Amino acid sequence: MEVDRVSGLFCLIFGVICMYASTQLSLGSFREPGPGFFPFIAGCFFSLLALLIVISSFIPEKDRENKVSSLWKGVNWRRPLTAGLLLLCYILMLERMGFLLTSLIVLFLMLRWVEKFSWGKALLISASASACTYLLFQTLLKANLPIGILGI
Amino acid sequence: MDFFGNLITGLSVACEPYNLLFCFLGVFIGTLIGVLPGLGPSATLSILLPVTFGMPATTAIIMLSGIAYGAQYGGSTTSILVNIPGETGSVITCLDGYQMARQGRAGPALGIAAFGSFIAGTVGIIVLQILAPPLVNVALKFGAPEYFSLMILGLIILTFLAEKSMLKALMMAGMGTFFGTVGLDSISGVARFTFDIPDFFDGLGIVPMVMGLFGIAEIFLNLEKTIKTEISDGKIGNLLPTLKDWVDSKWALVRGTVIGFVLGLLPGAGAVLSTFVSYAVEKMVSKNPQKFGHGAIEGVAAPESANNAAASAGFVPMLTLGIPVIPTYAILLGALMLHGITPGPMLMKQHPDLFWGVIASMYVGNVMLLVLNLPLIGLWVRVLRVPYPILFPLILLFCLIGAYAINKSTVDVAIMLFCGVLGYLMRKFEYEPAPFIMAFVLSPMLETSLRRSLAFSNGKFMIFFTHPISLGCLILASLLLVTAALPGIREKFVGEA
Repeated sequence: MEVDRVSGLFCLIFGVICMYASTQLSLGSFREPGPGFFPFIAGCFFSLLALLIVISSFIPEKDRENKVSSLWKGVNWRRPLTAGLLLLCYILMLERMGFLLTSLIVLFLMLRWVEKFSWGKALLISASASACTYLLFQTLLKANLPIGILGI
Repeated sequence: MDFFGNLITGLSVACEPYNLLFCFLGVFIGTLIGVLPGLGPSATLSILLPVTFGMPATTAIIMLSGIAYGAQYGGSTTSILVNIPGETGSVITCLDGYQMARQGRAGPALGIAAFGSFIAGTVGIIVLQILAPPLVNVALKFGAPEYFSLMILGLIILTFLAEKSMLKALMMAGMGTFFGTVGLDSISGVARFTFDIPDFFDGLGIVPMVMGLFGIAEIFLNLEKTIKTEISDGKIGNLLPTLKDWVDSKWALVRGTVIGFVLGLLPGAGAVLSTFVSYAVEKMVSKNPQKFGHGAIEGVAAPESANNAAASAGFVPMLTLGIPVIPTYAILLGALMLHGITPGPMLMKQHPDLFWGVIASMYVGNVMLLVLNLPLIGLWVRVLRVPYPILFPLILLFCLIGAYAINKSTVDVAIMLFCGVLGYLMRKFEYEPAPFIMAFVLSPMLETSLRRSLAFSNGKFMIFFTHPISLGCLILASLLLVTAALPGIREKFVGEA
């Protein structure tokens, strides 16, 4: 499918959902707009534009490869995906295990899997980075980072 | 008398040792994060915001402002030496700055960037100082319809100047507006799209969104390809541009300053767009445009002066109207309110020492930046020698801490990650995040002013056309839309950058 058609359709569907959700909030009247009034207008506005984008994607463009698969051709998509998943783990672990331990583990895996560092190097960099940021933000700037099972 | 009277009031505040120290810290940190790719001024401001709680309001704002305009200085260094813009406002500087460095002219490139930034920044503050008092008087006449139409105009200009499709940019603005409505409705108190998550009641955080859309998305994109950091090894000897360099770039500096200041005044346009436009203009007026992209010094001077002039100009609507032109200033406004000060037209009357002190501190800060930057370039280069594979996990870690520390909530971190993925996909599908985030920032003000106007006029939309300032803004906005619909004109204006 064409790039713009995919993104346009996606936004159109999202826009219609937004409009529907806004109507559930009471639109009010022009004289006294309700809480759903403004989000409804915003939703209408971008659904309309998304529709225009979908329509314009049917106008053929010359000399341009615009299939969705072409967006990820020739790039290493595994690396951003791994980094994204590791960040998700970070969020899930942060308040349970504390800042220091979570950062150490996630940074270590990031360096190992995304950047292919050796065990030793990855451990050294992740340990010193977590320790330094801990000292800077927790000890010096008192940022109240989460304390986990280790109590630090 | 007023000009100098205000200047003296301001300088006496700015030159107190305590304020001087924090002004210095601000511009130093600003330059540093400007140098580091990925970690922007918005993130830094929010990380350091809690640190300022114990300070007097003036000192806090002086330091935070220093970070905001200092970042524009640092960004150019990385653009020129490594071809990686440290700051979105320095993307254009890469084009000719890096080429100059490869030709062994890194020194003059850095020099003209620093001097250009200094000149434009200082001129910007002078104009700000002259413009602020009359503008405050105009601003006092601003009612809800005027605010609404002005913000609409700003958003239309932003989408008009968008690099790619204006249709897509407009749609992004619409979507950003929608995201801005998440949270408790300020008038009825009804929870909107919060999914019963308490963290959403105050709305989605600007900072995690900015960090996600720009910082995290950038990292994802960089990870797709293997980055080779090629630091130009040519010795950075003489930083002073030659007489010929000055002659070549003098008009570029002037035009860059003017363009930067004018665009910097508009909500949404800001530093980034001013660099694109000023570069395009230089290319248009140049006698030999083919040298652009191959190390033309005008190509460094124009955008660098533009982004600094824009950084100063952004303070005008912020200090007089309370409208943030870019997300960074939205955080600065938040800082003002946290210190118990209401931004807007009354600020100058109620807190003259803060108002003029902050403006005067910017003169001082600009001098500091010039003095600081020239000798420290060697240090920044060393910071950049840290290889990207080590640098990016560190930047990620800073972003994670920044997102968490604002509200001590993992929900904010999750918003950041979500926006990171969103920003990555936007970039892939050629949508621009700038109109999205700007509309998001302005959305609550847009909504309040729309609803107030309608309540005031008994539900008649004519109110936007009967108020002259509002009508003027709307006419301008529709002219832009009509122009954009006609083929060729908009392309001529923005397509050449």
